[in-house]
Amino acid sequence: MLVAATFAAPDLDKTQALAQQRYGARAAETVAAWRQLMEESRALTDQDKLTKVNTFFNRRMLFVDDIIVWRQKDYWATPLEFIGRGAGDCEDFTIAKYMTLQMLGIGNEHLRLIYIRAKSGSRASFAHMVLGYYPQPTDEPLILDNLISSVRPASQRPDLVPVFSFNNDGLWVGGAATSAADPTVRLSRWRNVLERMRQDGL
Amino acid sequence: MSLIKQLWIAIILVLSIAFGGSMVVSVLSARHYLEQQLQVKNIDNANALALSLTQLKKDEVMVGLLVAAQFDVGHYRFIRIVSPTGQTLVERVAANLKPAAPDWFVKLIPIRTTPGQALIQDGWSQYGTLTLASHDSYAYQSLWDGTLELLLWFVFGAAITGMVGTLLMRSITRPLGEVVGQAQAIAERRFLTITEPRTPELKSVAHAMNVMVDRLKAMFNDEAARLETLRKKVNHDAVTGLSSRDYFLSHLREAVQGDQFDSLGTLVLVRLPDLDDLNAHLGRQQTDALLKDVAHELAQSGANRIGQRAGRIKGAEFAIVCPSLASATEAAHDIHERLTQNLLPKWRDRVPDLFHISAVRYHHDQNLSELLARADETLAQAASLGPNSWHAVEDSTAKAALPAEQWRALLTEAVAGGRLALSFYPVMSGDGTNPMHQEGMLRLKLDAAGSLLSAGDFMPMAAQLNLTAPIDLGVVKLAIEHLRSTAGDIAVNLSAATVANFGFRHELIQLLKTYPEVCQRLLIEVPEYGVFKQFEAFRDLAHQLKQLGCRVGVEYFGQSFAESGKLADLGLDYIKVHPSYIRDIANNEGNQEFLKGLCKVAHAIGITVVAQGVENQADLPLLAALGFDGVTGPGVK
Repeated sequence: MLVAATFAAPDLDKTQALAQQRYGARAAETVAAWRQLMEESRALTDQDKLTKVNTFFNRRMLFVDDIIVWRQKDYWATPLEFIGRGAGDCEDFTIAKYMTLQMLGIGNEHLRLIYIRAKSGSRASFAHMVLGYYPQPTDEPLILDNLISSVRPASQRPDLVPVFSFNNDGLWVGGAATSAADPTVRLSRWRNVLERMRQDGL
Repeated sequence: MSLIKQLWIAIILVLSIAFGGSMVVSVLSARHYLEQQLQVKNIDNANALALSLTQLKKDEVMVGLLVAAQFDVGHYRFIRIVSPTGQTLVERVAANLKPAAPDWFVKLIPIRTTPGQALIQDGWSQYGTLTLASHDSYAYQSLWDGTLELLLWFVFGAAITGMVGTLLMRSITRPLGEVVGQAQAIAERRFLTITEPRTPELKSVAHAMNVMVDRLKAMFNDEAARLETLRKKVNHDAVTGLSSRDYFLSHLREAVQGDQFDSLGTLVLVRLPDLDDLNAHLGRQQTDALLKDVAHELAQSGANRIGQRAGRIKGAEFAIVCPSLASATEAAHDIHERLTQNLLPKWRDRVPDLFHISAVRYHHDQNLSELLARADETLAQAASLGPNSWHAVEDSTAKAALPAEQWRALLTEAVAGGRLALSFYPVMSGDGTNPMHQEGMLRLKLDAAGSLLSAGDFMPMAAQLNLTAPIDLGVVKLAIEHLRSTAGDIAVNLSAATVANFGFRHELIQLLKTYPEVCQRLLIEVPEYGVFKQFEAFRDLAHQLKQLGCRVGVEYFGQSFAESGKLADLGLDYIKVHPSYIRDIANNEGNQEFLKGLCKVAHAIGITVVAQGVENQADLPLLAALGFDGVTGPGVK
């Protein structure tokens, strides 16, 4: 699959150098830690990979609204930008986890970015995003959420209602569609962030 | 390949690259635009449909309906939902609509789009993957239409450019054509100058050629003037400017025995008193003045008559040959009148018995010394008649002249009845060893017995009766027949009178055009007096003959030498020098020098020189040494 080819050889040295250059030594350290995590997790089972990756981002990153971090109402950050700022909202967590798991060899068919209507005791329902992992296509997914620390099956998350899911399947089938020269890429938030990731070396 | 062709190819090439290139670019960019639009539409529509399906209860009928509704009102090639296990849940496929564009076009410029894909959820579980593709036949059609329209503009633009290009090319190459024409003319020995074109490159070429032509002409004219001076000095009397005795006698012989003139003519003698007496009586200076006055009158009398020439043959004795006057009385009377009116009043006081005139008629092939003796006798009779008197004798031994009407019948019949014939005389190379060509002389078979009349016997009459044109055509026809049956080149003479005849020139050219294969071997010559009498007509004739491949020459060359500068731009192939220069050449050093110079000038502009009327085979080495390329005459076998 072309998607695999696109991410098969991420240039993490470039990513780390960019982190150093753009966000300073702390960000570079975080990238180094991230790379180490991936090195350590490569041999683990899928289940353990999920836990490790989920924990890595949930512990290290702060959950802050886009309007504070990026001074925009809604901004989709690439993993590099996310690590560089050390903070982000639910989409940034989800994207970073999605990319990390893909780089660890988990196929697209298992992963979904899911729009969620969430409820938590005190607040009224709010828009949220999580990463879903489907061990088999027909199975119940495991949910990687930045609101709670553990990875749980969907049935144990009555607070979440799925609305719509997507991944990057089918986006890179035509050769021309991967090119930054294609002006339509910038118009889609999703394709846009994927393109920026490529430029970050991922 | 010609320059103009190359220019055209370059223009077409540049146009094709410009138009073709812009066409390829615009077709490709149109295709790219269409691909993008289709791609975005595919992705967006897949996501929108998947989003609304995700919100639905997953009732099979409901899902099917929604897909059908989208499919039916939209423009899709197919919409398909496949379950996570790979089972097709819903599928709608449009009948394969053939694009309006031809197959080869679709193959050459394919529009590549990928179907849009999106995921449908049923709560937490996956319901399926939705794939859809938009119809692209309209895209092919608009691409094809656009290409056709561009092509139309291309053809239109090319046509306009072609027209403008033709005009431009014409104005660019017009001066080029003139320059090329000049170069060709020079190659054909026609030395022309042209107006210099404005294009700087061509201008310098044309300028250089003009300068060369001018220099050549100047050289030719200088040389001709020098030769003319020489010729006069050698052949003319220093005091009177009339022909010297030798030169006059040579001319007289040519008039009496040659083919050039009428078979009947008149010789006039004018005798003043003894030169010593005059000198004693008038003094040297006055005597010279008198001689000059006489010479002037005699020269004037022949100004309008072809072949008439006056010469000083003894101290105070002059002779005039009038080849075009058959009546001795008329000739004598004419000269007597002139001298009486213009000369006598001035000199009568001092020299009362100023002159005596005698005139005798001669006929073709008459013995010269006999003729001169008879003229002397007649002069004695004139002297016996008293001072300033004249006496004429119409020769009773001359052939009885036929009345004009009888001549007309005879000549017309001769032309129609094939009684014309050619006798051939060889023209050999200068040393007399190799034949150059045969000269065909016209003869008229008078009767069945085969007695032949030479051209000199009947051509003057034919000229009077305006019959030379059909006769000359007959001559050319005979020559053509001869050329077709035998090898070698043939020269024929045209009469002076016919050259000016436009109808004849036209007929001659048409005749020759039907036998293009013999033209290369046909030489056509015109006597010099025929050339200068109607120069423009001759130029026209020579030009047309040369285009057909015939060679053109002037015979009896050298009498109007002063005008020969005009010949430089005619492209003449050869000249035949008048026999009066050739006769007795071994003893005439002046003429030798003149002829040597003449050969040199002629060779400088590529003209072959032939000596006409060579009588003595012993002269051949000398003639070759003088530079003659060819010889002909009774002494050449």
